[in-house]
Amino acid sequence: MKKIFAALLALTLMLSMTSVFAEGKTYTIGVSQFAVHGSLDNCFEGFKLGLAEEGFVEGENVVFDFENSNADTGIAAQIADKFVNANVDLICAIATPSAMSAFNAAQDRNIPVIYTAVSDPVAAQLAGTDGTNPGEVTGTSDALPVEAQLRLIRALQPEATKIGILHTTSETNSDSSLETYRQLAPNYGFEIIDKGISTGADIPLALEALLPLVDCTTNLTDNTVVQSLPVVLELSAVAGKPVYGSEIEQVKLGCIASEGIEYVELGRQTGHIAARVLRGESAATIPFELIENSLLYINEEALAQFGITVPEELLARAITVTAD
Amino acid sequence: MLLSILEQGLIYGILALGLLITYRILDFPDLTVDSSFPLGAAVSAVLTVRGMAPVWTLFFAVLAGCLAGLITGLIHVKCHVRDLLSGIITMTGLYSINLNIAGKANVPLFGGDTLFKNPFTRAFPAFLAPYATLLIILVITLIAKLLLDWFLSTKAGFLLRAAGDNPSVVTTLAQDQGRVKILGLMIANALVALSGAVMCQQQRYFDISMGTGAMVIGLASVIIGTNIFRSLRFMRSTTMALIGSVLYKASVAIALQLGLDASFMKLITAVLFLIILVISQFRPKKVRLHV
Repeated sequence: MKKIFAALLALTLMLSMTSVFAEGKTYTIGVSQFAVHGSLDNCFEGFKLGLAEEGFVEGENVVFDFENSNADTGIAAQIADKFVNANVDLICAIATPSAMSAFNAAQDRNIPVIYTAVSDPVAAQLAGTDGTNPGEVTGTSDALPVEAQLRLIRALQPEATKIGILHTTSETNSDSSLETYRQLAPNYGFEIIDKGISTGADIPLALEALLPLVDCTTNLTDNTVVQSLPVVLELSAVAGKPVYGSEIEQVKLGCIASEGIEYVELGRQTGHIAARVLRGESAATIPFELIENSLLYINEEALAQFGITVPEELLARAITVTAD
Repeated sequence: MLLSILEQGLIYGILALGLLITYRILDFPDLTVDSSFPLGAAVSAVLTVRGMAPVWTLFFAVLAGCLAGLITGLIHVKCHVRDLLSGIITMTGLYSINLNIAGKANVPLFGGDTLFKNPFTRAFPAFLAPYATLLIILVITLIAKLLLDWFLSTKAGFLLRAAGDNPSVVTTLAQDQGRVKILGLMIANALVALSGAVMCQQQRYFDISMGTGAMVIGLASVIIGTNIFRSLRFMRSTTMALIGSVLYKASVAIALQLGLDASFMKLITAVLFLIILVISQFRPKKVRLHV
């Protein structure tokens, strides 16, 4: 009996030593990504980058266990359970359903969950309305820089009054972005006219109904609409209504301009938060962050097509992109 | 890991009980499942948010599932639409209804009490606390299973079994075969909705995409269960379906543990499916399934 106690004591001592001398420790980070998607992939790239900048380098002192649930919430839950059972040091959850599953599984075990690409952490109850966190959970939001986008549209189309927005009724991200647009649009003299769709197949008909009513359209980060962007661009070109994008990839495809966020950058910011948590800070006390600066992307070919010129002051900071 | 496999397996086990009725007993390929699963979840989530005690929301979820089954049944029996198509019609329509019930595509329940996190479970002694969720799931699943076992042993249950095996028996007994089918669909979808509601309470959010592939999971569970244990005559098929569901979830967990890419998950399911079906064909066939 005494021997067992002694062995246990030694073991506890050793364990406490390793946590004191965290220098030599290897951290395991479970990464749960909700779907295969360019922007989400970029988040993970940025996340690794951000951690590496803080001295947490993959292959040296960090091991990533990456899982993708392919848009299946049941699998997302099992992935979260797997990470919790493996007692990882931290879970990085990319996109809302993954973040919710991870928090649900990890909450009682005090494994910190760092999320990214969650458009509205408050609506998802991953953050309180007063900015506090419900537990060891924090991260970054990819809420659109709506204000900047509205200023952009005002600058490029001084005469415009009505902005059209196409959105999928089953995407929560779109709901909250649309709500923000509705609230802020009057400040810039705009009215928002929206059309909801349920599948990509509805896009042509919805656009035909929407385009005659508006001066231009602007995209959200709506997955269904973005996937069908070529259709949107073609029909809008025929109707002579420019399309504004919500991120760089859309401008490459032919949207005239976008005040967008860059997902690698978002991931990097998330990586910095994760590093603070790995060093011992409590995730519960770190408020979630929005991306600080939006970047202006323009597509000159598309601008010329609609005869729109970019004012000097905007041109100075604009990044010109073309189709890959 | 075992704990979460059992939790998930038993929750989806209720779904498998529903599919046991439609697929195995009625021989009805019912696609309603893909939307009656999130229907139960939506009803449960919304009522919980509105302040109803989580356990009561389960009854309303069951009721909603009954209605979904009734609609598919009526479309099939009264409008003479083929079985597969009537399920697809209800599934498609319910998608919109689910969205409107929930109000949005994703409803979180992190804020308040749920079926598994409430004053009652918090009062569990410390050594039991990690198993609280599993215990509650076990109780609900067993109630569902025992009720179904009881029902299948009644006269109505006998008619239900006859409707799938040998429809002329039902007609001989001067009973309307259509009504029996509708009843079966209602019970099946009630179970599926209950499963969705419990799942939503456990994962603490409703998501409109929850139902994607629910039918395949249920079907795989029923086929795995009934084929592995088909030679055990003393075992009820409801038990087989429950074990099948746990085995299915275990295989997903093992695949994840082995580091298999989750993007191959559906392919693995399909192959597993096929292997079990093919193997079961080499065994001597039983004339009747012991229900």
